[in-house]
Amino acid sequence: MTTTQDTTTPKEKTSGVTYTPEDGLLLEVEDLYVEFHTPDGIATAINGVSFDLHQGESLAILGESGSGKSVTAQAIMGILDMPPAVIPGGHIRYCGQDLLSMPEDQRRRTRGPEVSMIFQDALSSLNPVFPVGWQIAEMFRMHRGVNKSDALQQAIRLMERVQIPAARDRVKAYPHQFSGGMRQRIMIAMAIALDPAVLIADEPTTALDVTVQAQIMALLEELQQERQMGLILITHDLGVVADVADRIAVMYAGRFVEKADVVELYSAPAHPYTRGLLESIPRLDQKGQTLAAIGGLPPNLMRIPPGCPFNPRCRRAEDVCRRDRPELREVVPGRLAACHFAEEVINA
Amino acid sequence: MGTYVIRRLLQMIPVILGATFLIFTMVFALPGDPLAGKCGERPCPPAYAAAFREKYNLNDPLPIQYGKYVGNLAQGDFGETTNGIKVIDQLKARYPITAKLALMALAFEAIVGITVGVFTGIKKGGFLDNLVLISTLVVISIPVFVVGGLSQYFLGVKLGLFPVTVTSANPSFYQLMLPAMVLGSISLAYISRLTRTSLVENLRSDYVRTATAKGLRRRRSIGLHALRNSLIPVVTFIGFDFGFLLGGAIVTEAIFNIPGVGGYLFRSIRARDGASVVGTVTVLVIVFLFVNLLVDLLYGLLDPRISHD
Repeated sequence: MTTTQDTTTPKEKTSGVTYTPEDGLLLEVEDLYVEFHTPDGIATAINGVSFDLHQGESLAILGESGSGKSVTAQAIMGILDMPPAVIPGGHIRYCGQDLLSMPEDQRRRTRGPEVSMIFQDALSSLNPVFPVGWQIAEMFRMHRGVNKSDALQQAIRLMERVQIPAARDRVKAYPHQFSGGMRQRIMIAMAIALDPAVLIADEPTTALDVTVQAQIMALLEELQQERQMGLILITHDLGVVADVADRIAVMYAGRFVEKADVVELYSAPAHPYTRGLLESIPRLDQKGQTLAAIGGLPPNLMRIPPGCPFNPRCRRAEDVCRRDRPELREVVPGRLAACHFAEEVINA
Repeated sequence: MGTYVIRRLLQMIPVILGATFLIFTMVFALPGDPLAGKCGERPCPPAYAAAFREKYNLNDPLPIQYGKYVGNLAQGDFGETTNGIKVIDQLKARYPITAKLALMALAFEAIVGITVGVFTGIKKGGFLDNLVLISTLVVISIPVFVVGGLSQYFLGVKLGLFPVTVTSANPSFYQLMLPAMVLGSISLAYISRLTRTSLVENLRSDYVRTATAKGLRRRRSIGLHALRNSLIPVVTFIGFDFGFLLGGAIVTEAIFNIPGVGGYLFRSIRARDGASVVGTVTVLVIVFLFVNLLVDLLYGLLDPRISHD
């Protein structure tokens, strides 16, 4: 049954549409909103997010679980389940063309050749019943109409590129026959197969142990530089982003609360939330002390508190924080933060 | 794989022994004398009765009788009825009919069931979904003899679409169509529900999300990536159901007067024909075990995570 469907699916060539970035600008996300309409009410997952991504640039989006970072990624990819998700406002432009208003078929053709994504759990993200080589080759077959055996050869080359040992022998193996790190390499091979301009990595190393994490991050960085991709790295792990990212956007309750160059952000955070995140990293030179943690929980997205969404957890909060929501503003040149007291925080 | 098959084949031996012993004991426990009425109104002459009892081992105690039966069975002899008819000859004539009916029922329930399941699974909560949920519930709740009788009356008598009963000893495809649909109807309901549930679950899975992120058409994401995984439990169910169907559909065969194994078993039980009952059930047990083995092997082919090493 599967094989007949496999061969009768019409082959398609790469779409006639060509995308050329202007001044290296690949992706513009402008005032994006995403809501989830559930029986219990409307949860606002993304609350007016804007950012740009250029060729060869790495942007890290940092945040706790439920801060909206994965939803942002899925909205860009266009793989949100709609419904329940609704995008009531905003634009996502790829090379100047708005992905949100694009016909679905045209948008589908951008997934893979233009914008591509790696997921957190490679075991569940790969199809358990198809060989890994077949799954990589599917990209060439479906997007470029390459025949089966040629596509498989290209898949082997990609597996070699992402440093899977004995790729030729393992091309017919199934996902469960690989280790976690090797599976994530297969995901990466699949994602970069058609040479996308933008690669989104959604917590690519969360499910892996620390030594493998470093290898995967090194591979991603290497591929990004080799192909001059725009990389969006989504993570909650400050340690992971430090080496790879150029810029960091810190997300809280569906908003960016701070955007900065990675080095500057680490040396002097401009938002109390970012400061709290940095203080919660265990440090080797401070053994035996209680680990600093941010008290409280992220807000319920159906009832985001008025004023600054972080105010119930903020040690610095004053009346103005409970009343007025701080906008993301330039604190010092090149540094954006959404805090009434950003100047004080950055100099603290 | 080879050692797995051999192990499974060896495991069949105690199952066959246990099943035949139970059947043998039950038939042995049935009241009545095989000689009663054998010679018309009068009792049989003592010499004939003695020869008869000797021939069919009726003087032996149960374990000896059973031991002799199994000994014959091991040589491929399924025994003969008290009329001197070989059970194996009866089965040879009837099994093709039952097998044909089983295959037709299986094709019907699999094709219609999976198709319905896929369409309801894609449009979960829609009109078609609710319609199918309710109608499958109705089908599952009604006994086969009611469905059989009603379909005979409406589709056979009133509308004249199908023959009401089977009239030949070697029924045609057309004559078996209505019985096959009746026989397959309950499993059809299960298959469509199983496919639906399984597909709905897989549509939410991470690898279907990956398929979408790979820029595949929706038809391919669903029809290949999600469906291939959803069919694993469905095919398993179909396989087991095939084993049941090959066991002969006693009720359906009786309703439609089909000269298959089920009808034969039914008549043999009513006629207290011990040899036929034991012989037929033994064959059915063996067939069922082999079909199960095939299903388990098929399962390994469908799901690469299952290993038979």
